[in-house]
Formats: sequence, C-alpha cells, structure tokens
Amino acid sequence: MNYSKYYPIDVLNGEGTRCTLFVSGCIHNCKGCYNQSTWSPDAGELFTDQVADQIIQDLNDQRIKKQGLTLSGGDPLHPANVEQILKLIQRVKRECEGKDIWMWTGYVLSELNKKQKQIIELVDVLIDGKFVKDLADPSLAWRGSSNQVVHYLRKASVNE
Amino acid sequence: MKPVVIKRDGSQVPFNALRIAEAVLKASGAARCKGVDAFAIAAEVETSLVGQEQVDIHYIQDAVEACLMKSNHIELARIYIEYRHDRDIARERKSHLNSEIDGLIEQSNASLLNENANKDGKVIPTQRDLLAGIVAKHYAKSHILPRDVVRAHEAGEIHYHDLDYAPFFPMFNCMLIDIKGMFTDGFKMGNAEIEQPKSISTATAVTAQIIAQVASHIYGGTTINGIDTILAPYVTKSFDKHLKTAQQWHIEDAHAYATQQTEIECYNAFQSLEYEVNTLHTANGQTPFVTFGFGLGSDWQSRLIQQSILKNRIAGLGKNRKTAIFPKLVFAIKDGLNHKVDDQNYDIKQLALECASKRMYPDILNYDKVVEVTGSFKTPMGCRSFLDVYYQKSGLDKGELIHDGRNNLGVVSLNLPRIALEADGNIGRFDELLNTRLLLAKKALDTRIERLSEVKASVAPILYMEGACGVRLKADDCIADIFKHGRASISLGYIGLHETVNALYGNEKHIFDCATKQQKALQIITRLKQATQEWSEQSGYAFSLYSTPSENLCDRFCRLDAKRFGVLEGVTDKGYYTNSFHLDVEKAVNPYDKLDFEMAYPPIASGGFICYGEYPNMQHNLKALEDVWDYSYTRVPYYGTNTPIDECYECSFTGEFDCTSKGFVCPSCGNSDPDKVAVTRRVCGYLGSPDARPFNEGKQEEVKRRVKHL
Repeated sequence: MNYSKYYPIDVLNGEGTRCTLFVSGCIHNCKGCYNQSTWSPDAGELFTDQVADQIIQDLNDQRIKKQGLTLSGGDPLHPANVEQILKLIQRVKRECEGKDIWMWTGYVLSELNKKQKQIIELVDVLIDGKFVKDLADPSLAWRGSSNQVVHYLRKASVNE
Repeated sequence: MKPVVIKRDGSQVPFNALRIAEAVLKASGAARCKGVDAFAIAAEVETSLVGQEQVDIHYIQDAVEACLMKSNHIELARIYIEYRHDRDIARERKSHLNSEIDGLIEQSNASLLNENANKDGKVIPTQRDLLAGIVAKHYAKSHILPRDVVRAHEAGEIHYHDLDYAPFFPMFNCMLIDIKGMFTDGFKMGNAEIEQPKSISTATAVTAQIIAQVASHIYGGTTINGIDTILAPYVTKSFDKHLKTAQQWHIEDAHAYATQQTEIECYNAFQSLEYEVNTLHTANGQTPFVTFGFGLGSDWQSRLIQQSILKNRIAGLGKNRKTAIFPKLVFAIKDGLNHKVDDQNYDIKQLALECASKRMYPDILNYDKVVEVTGSFKTPMGCRSFLDVYYQKSGLDKGELIHDGRNNLGVVSLNLPRIALEADGNIGRFDELLNTRLLLAKKALDTRIERLSEVKASVAPILYMEGACGVRLKADDCIADIFKHGRASISLGYIGLHETVNALYGNEKHIFDCATKQQKALQIITRLKQATQEWSEQSGYAFSLYSTPSENLCDRFCRLDAKRFGVLEGVTDKGYYTNSFHLDVEKAVNPYDKLDFEMAYPPIASGGFICYGEYPNMQHNLKALEDVWDYSYTRVPYYGTNTPIDECYECSFTGEFDCTSKGFVCPSCGNSDPDKVAVTRRVCGYLGSPDARPFNEGKQEEVKRRVKHL
C-alpha cells in the first residue's frame, strides 16, 4: 500500500484532534474530487512499518492528545489497501487504548465485500458514498455532498 | 543689477542687503559680541553675489557664515549657525504641519487616514479628531517634549505612542472602569443625576452611556472587568419586578413567568448594549475600544448574562448578521468552574467555543495562569494591557486588593531591530546600545507622568469626580495621587524580537529551531523587565513591560530601518516587523508548538501580552478547538483563536477571503466590494474589518503572510 500524505495533527477530518492518513489508490473517479493526485495506487510513498510505528506513537502522545485515527485517501477500502489497513487498525485497537477510528470511503456501506466488512467491524465512524458534485454543499459537517452518509457505527462515539 | 533670491517656499524676492545686516545684528546681540560691523558683512556678501541673476537663500546664508568666520567672529558665527539651524527645524516642522493638514483635507495622506483601523477618516467628526491630533502632535513635539526624545521618536529609535492625544492633552491610555462603584454610589453625567439602576435593561443602557463618556476622555481601551458579576444584581431586580407583575395578575406559575421574562429582558438588554457600542461615536472620532471580561460568575444571574453576551454575539449584527468587532469579548476559564466536563459552568464554555468558532471572539483568559503571571486575576485593559497587584490601604490593614478604577498611563516602545542593526551583529555593542536607549525611553515615559502631575480632577469629571477611576475627587483636587504606588501602570513597549535576533545572528536558522536565538531573545526581554523593575523601585510608579500590539508601528519602524540600512533578508525585507515576542507569522508550526514557543514570554512581559493561533474553520469540530484551549490553560494566560469567518453577500461564500496586496477578495466569485463583503481579521489584540477600513501596507503584508497552524 502507498500513502499520499500523513498529518500527525489534524482537525478537519473527524471529531477532535486526530492523526490522519491519506492512502493512495481509488477507483471511483468522482467528478470534482479534491484529492485527484491520490487516485493512482502508486501515488505517494510506500506505507512502511516505520510509518505505522510513527502513527501509533503519535496517537499515544501524551502532550498533544488525540481522539483517534482518520483513514481517508484515495480509498482505504481499495482492494490493494484492505490488507494493510486491517493490520493498521488492529494495531491501533491493540496498542492505543480509547482511540477511535474514522474512515472515508467511496463505496457504500451496504455493498461492501467480506474483507472490507472485516475492517468496518473495527471502525467507529464511517462516511460512505461517492462525491457527487451536484449535491455538493460546503456547509455539511464531515461530508462533501449530501448523498454521503455519516454512520456512527459504535455506540461509544455517538456524542455529536 | 541685484540678484533675485529664491526663498524656501519657492517664492522670489529681490536681494536686500539690509536683511543680512539685521540677522547678523540679532545674532551678535545674542552672542553679546561687540564691535561687529554688520553692514560691512552684508556688503561683503552682496559683493560676492555680483553677476548672479538668481541665488538660493541657502547660498546666501552660507556666504554670511563664511564672512563671519573669515573676519574672525568665531563665536558669532557659531550663534548664527545655531540660530539658522533652529529656524530651519522650526520651518521644516511648520511646513510638515501644513502638509499633514493638506493631506487630511485632500484625503491623500494614506498613512494618517489608515493609521488606526478603527477610525474612518472620511467622516467629519473623525476628521476633526485627526486635525486636533495633527496639531496636538506638532505642539507636543515643538514645545512639550525634550529635544532628544523628539529626535529619537522621529528617527524611529523609540515610539512615543498616541502623540496625537498626549502629552498635549493630559490624557492617559486605558483603564478598567469601576462600574460597580458608580452604580452603587450614583453619579452625575452631563445634566443628569444617575441613581442605581432598577433593572438589567437600565443597567446596560447606563453602562453604554458610561462607556461613551469614559472613552471620550482617554485614548486607549475601555474595559469592564467581570461585567457578568458586576451586573448580576440588576438581573435579580428585573426578576423581582417580573415576579411582582406575575403575582399582581395572578399568573399561575409566577416563578416560571418571571424567569422567562427575565431571560428575554437580559438577552435584549445585552443586544442593545452591543448595538450601542457599535453605533457609538466618541469624541475621539471612533467606535470606542471596549472590552468585556466575563465568565467567572457562578450564580444564575451571572450565568444568564454570560449566555446573553455569547448568544447575541453568535447571532450577529444587523440584517446580514455581521460579526461584531466591538466590544472585544474576553471569557475567563477557571478550573473547577467551567474548565472540565464536570464543572458547573462547563455548558457556557461550550457556548464560548461555538462563539469563537463563528465570531472569533471571545478570546480566553486562563484564570490560574493570569494569577501566576500577573499576581491576581483581572481582564486586560484594552486589548492586552495587564495591571499588577495593588492593595487599597485602609487604616493599618494591608488593604483591599482592587482592580477596577485603575489604569495605564501610556506606552513608549523600543525599536529593538534598530538597535541590532546599529550594533551590526556585535552582541556586546547591542547590549550597550540597548542600555542607552532604555534611558531615553525612561525619559520619554517620565514626561507622561510629569504631564499629569499638576492636573485637576475637573479636566475629566467622569473619570475623577464621578467614579470611573474608583475615586470621587473634588474639582480642584490634583489627580496625580491616584496614579502612584502601583495603582496605575506605565509601560515600556517593544517590537520585533524576531527581526532583532535575525539581525544579530543572521537569517540562516529560524529562531524556532535555534537555541542561541531563543536564549538571546529571552535575555533581551529579561533585560527590559529588569529596567522597568529598577524604574519602579526608584520612582514608586508601576513601570511594566508591555508587548506592543504594533498595528501601525510594525510598518513605521520597518520602513524607517529599510531606508537607513537597506533591505536586509529576515529583518527589513518583509515590510513589517513582527509583533512583540510572537513567532514569525510565516513559520508553519502546529498551535501546540507555537504555544510552547511563546509561553516563556508573558511571565516576563507581564504588563501586556496575548498569544494566538491561526485556525481553519472549526465550526464542526469544537472539540478540537477545545483541545487547544485546554492545552493553553496551563501554559499561557491569554489566548485567541483566529478562524476564517469572512462572508460574501454576493455569492454567499463563507470562509476565508484571499488577502492580496490590493485588498480582500472573495475566492469564490472575486467580489471585493466593501458594501457586499464582511471581512474580519485580527489586527492585534483587537479584530478589524479591513474591507471597510484598510490596514496600512505593512500590516496588510503581515496578514497576507500568515500561515495556518493546523
């Protein structure tokens, strides 16, 4: 898996102060996508163990406290990404107590395959669906267009 | 034929030798020289001009000097030269005065018209104020201030702030109004005797009147320190009144009725107050610089006031629901009261966060840190001036700790980068020069004290006789005593610490990444602090170290230094100097690291400080905003969060306008019509609307270069 950008402190993608990873690789080709450079699975750099270690360390930072990890892209559920993403999420759940996981995907929750679903099991908040330019609305929270849905999948993070 | 003389103003007159003889006689009288043949000298000069058709007045004067020297009247020559020098200066000043007035009349002096983002130089009352300012400044420089202070000010070594008001007028800078004392004991304003208000709506109405009066008598900011607790008793009065009505009309649930009516009244009262403040035009030709401090009250009445202030601000002004620039709101956060989830007023902190995300204000005061840094809790006067501890003596007792009614006497700021440039990178030389310049700044500050020493209370009844300053002096009483023994502060300011260390150590490494530069910066500020402490001990006045906001100064100092030393990378190349101790606005760091970088300074510069960070739109993520507020709680006393809240009424875009060197432009539709946009930016400690009143060039450049910290 490649990643396009990693933000150790982010406040724009999900609730609270977060670590955010934009992975590479996306098949949805949404018109008006704000992250076109991340479409190719070869974009950016190789996601190594060192990067994963860094993320774990940043999530556990005691000085700048994080609410959790955000996975966006690209698409974290792109077939080429699922294996690494699952591994990363499992590590976070194991090593970073109390941190939640937010994920943005162009797929729709009801249409996910088995492997993707395995990942969703560990995700707290999922924003799904393609970006539709005609339905775009900058005033929406966490969503680019109104067709997308914010799924609060785990009870713990339903504190909106 | 006699030559034609070209005078300084360009007019031409025929040469007249008699004028020379008169000048020489005058000089010889002053020099007590006898036996000077003035007419011989005049004749000699006349001879030397033979054959010339035109001659410049300077040339003639030079010729007179040469003749005097030649005929061995050395002392006379000296006096003549001095006299000529003084006349030159006076003449230059006079023509400067005229050109400034011309600039005002023709609306062509941009720096005068844009000097203060809160003054609209296009309207008549403001023009009258600006005209008074030009004359007051001119008179003070010519007749009140010592010559070396004026020279240093004009050369840009120091800055004597607010010269358009003081020392010509015996005015001081900023204050905390003693509203409580005024309300409790009553006061007179204009032709009216005002008694204690009997409802919250009357209390806020009278508060607006007091603000208007006070702000016309001082030139800096007017602050109400804890408006929620001060006005809480009047909420009770309103409630009692509504309860009485309910009982009179046999309303079933009288208590619920009274509660609801009180809530409505309180909200409306604070709405009126906000409108009042924004529509006021003081005698100083501007909307008053007003700051409301609030947040510490825990009773239901104070809570209601806190909510009313915040909800009104969130709602916005007028039909476009514009962000109000005044009053500045400063919300106090205190552990155990409203800091943590379980604290009783935590809900109001959430409201404050929402307000900050939508309207930029409130800035926050972290209670414990304010106490640690300044000795006790208080709201800043104006945007960032903090008082120290002061006990009002009563008998043998140590006395009562008081804040309200106290004030700041004014500021003189040092141009730190200038000293570094003069020292040319030599640290030892810098330290020496700094000491010399400190003496000059002290001399300048002393003139502020001096100016107020013989002044009578009748000069500003609202301040000194009716209680705004916490005293009730008689008309002929001297006001000087209320400024002594630390009751008032008087401040040494400074600017451009960032550029100073760059000038000293070169521009290769950024101060954020350089321990040597950080160490020197701290050492410089510590030296300034030490100076103010020494002055306080010697004089009995509370000299304090103040981190100058430099709205205008950032441009002025840098411009003067670039002229003299050239455009130097990292020092004079940006067109502005960085605000006080602040991290360079172009340095991309997260707000946490910025706080860590800046937190060392407020404890030293405890007479004035503010820290802030640049944020993206946080309206959907108050929790992340709260994370930074909470992080600041144990680190800095006073923090502001700058968020993009610009609005375009043409295409309904909300967010951040592009800041160009020509102005502010809607990124969505390109609109920049001041009537159809609302642009809000932090100018210094205050916010400004640069769409309506443009910043000066340096400030605009600084705003343009600001980077987000998240």
